Amino acid sequence: MSTANKRKSGESSTHQKYHSGLARHLFANRARAFFAYLILLFFVVFAVGPVFYLVSPALRDSVSLFEYPPQWIPDEPTLDNFRFLFNKTRYLSWAFNTVIFAAGTTIISLFTNVLAGYAFARLQFPGRNILFFVVLATLMVPVAAVLAPTYLLVRELGEIPIIGRPFFGLDTYLGLILPCTVSPLGVFMMRQFISTLPVGLYEAARLDGASEWRILFKIVLPLIKPALVVLGIFVFMITWANFLWPLVAASGDDYRVLTVGIASLKGQFVTHWGVLAAASLMTLIPVTIVFLFFQKWFVQASMAGALKQ
Amino acid sequence: MNDSRDHFTSGVPTGRETWTELKLSPDQYRRLASRYRLRYLWRASGFLAPYMILWFLFLAIPVGWAIFLSFNDGGVLDARYWVGFDNWARTLDDSELKQVVVNTSLFVVLAITIVFGLAIFLASLINNHRRGANFFKVTLYFPLLAPPILGAMIWHFMLHFDFGIVNLIQRGVFGGEGFNFLGKNPQAMFAIIAVEIWRGLGFWVLFYLAGLQSVPGELLDAAKLDGARSVRRFLRISVPILKPLFLFALVIAIIMNFQLFDSVKILTDGGPRMGTATIVWFIYRRMFAFQDTGLAFSASVGLLIGTMVLTLICFWLLGQRKKREA
Repeated sequence: MSTANKRKSGESSTHQKYHSGLARHLFANRARAFFAYLILLFFVVFAVGPVFYLVSPALRDSVSLFEYPPQWIPDEPTLDNFRFLFNKTRYLSWAFNTVIFAAGTTIISLFTNVLAGYAFARLQFPGRNILFFVVLATLMVPVAAVLAPTYLLVRELGEIPIIGRPFFGLDTYLGLILPCTVSPLGVFMMRQFISTLPVGLYEAARLDGASEWRILFKIVLPLIKPALVVLGIFVFMITWANFLWPLVAASGDDYRVLTVGIASLKGQFVTHWGVLAAASLMTLIPVTIVFLFFQKWFVQASMAGALKQ
Repeated sequence: MNDSRDHFTSGVPTGRETWTELKLSPDQYRRLASRYRLRYLWRASGFLAPYMILWFLFLAIPVGWAIFLSFNDGGVLDARYWVGFDNWARTLDDSELKQVVVNTSLFVVLAITIVFGLAIFLASLINNHRRGANFFKVTLYFPLLAPPILGAMIWHFMLHFDFGIVNLIQRGVFGGEGFNFLGKNPQAMFAIIAVEIWRGLGFWVLFYLAGLQSVPGELLDAAKLDGARSVRRFLRISVPILKPLFLFALVIAIIMNFQLFDSVKILTDGGPRMGTATIVWFIYRRMFAFQDTGLAFSASVGLLIGTMVLTLICFWLLGQRKKREA
């Protein structure tokens, strides 16, 4: 306290001194802010620049990429790459499969996670804590470690007469979706969230004679809507970015998803770079639009998923 | 944990009551208690079944099977045979695996150091200069929308020998030949690190920004009054408060980065002479290209154990944090 007082009196001892000190202070602040924004802008360019640059090769012939000096702005822009993408590859079918894959995974995981989370948070049953601990222990199992056993399992299950193909197995939607719905992260999140709701709500509902299912659907679900949205976005983003599992589980052309499809555009010997740029742009544009509308939710979702991502 | 019963279930016998309190005979009481337990189990199973069945089928069985198969040999599709600890012995002295582990560790250390340093720096910049904070948050987060393989594709247009934008600029400014980013050894790893930084930076900036904003303003103001400069305020107030958060983030980032695969597969496919080969890439190759499943499975189980240990550390840290808050 005493030092602060001393400084204050020292600063205001003469009007002139105070004034020039303030000016210097303001200037230093301005300069600091200028450099701060310069640095931030540099990283903004670093973040979005690569995607914006894609526009140029997407509108050019792939051969012109190898010319030097480069055409930054295409001399004669063409939509040939996009035409190739829609006519010669099955881009639309990949996109459709991706939507089915990601939406299906999201819906099924939300459903199972809410039920299991409710049971672990609010229901009494013998062995509850042991079971929860066992489930939680599998939280960080690397996808790569269980890739081959899961692949074999899905293949074998697909051979069983009634539940197998065409409903389940390799190269079916369910065979693609179901193994992606088992991450315990959602159960963990739902349990944490439901157990923060006040106990009085359940007691009141119980006294009024509501069953557990009624309590879940009429009281708990409306209250955890925000958490559901966050978990839903998180699962959707993780799933549509998934590459390794669709690569082995849906290698056939009919069930190929976007990530695998785009990777297959990069040929062993010849690659149509223009088409690749066009495909990347086409894939990012819809996601970006959705993102701009729901930024807050996206950010929250990725924070909530910090445990996994 | 065991006594966290809700009020409305408190009338249910727990088995710990003294006998004199009860009007029923011990036998009747036991029968009643087990009937209650069964009823509770039955009621809960309706909620648990959908998840637990899927979990058992597609997570528990594969994990168990992977552990079992690490003691076997044979291809993915051929008959397997028991070899005991052979795979594990091979795991310990396989030179390729050793290199892969070294590569991955190097990647993890470099990538995390750079990303965390940059993220903390940028987060404190955004935190100190609030104007346009939302714009910076959104744009820095943007790369996370691209799946990793798409990110790798996009970075081809940055780093390619013939038309990568970095090379074009370098040739334009300095002249001469382009720089071979993906075809030579130390550079290829740096290219991979650049891609991963590009994707990860925004997330960690937001993470640390949230952390910095949770530092109580009164403390910072008090220090300011006492004449502490911004660097000192950061080091003496923000850093100690953020330390648990930082440790937690560190463990998560290590777990994540040890599973690097997608961008390696697309950009270099293991790179010049295994220069960018990672653990998951090694497992994938052994499993699906070489059909050397024994080694692949023992490596996967090794990865599994490593991640489990890190996860335990992570939960322990979380527990510490909760204890401090309470």
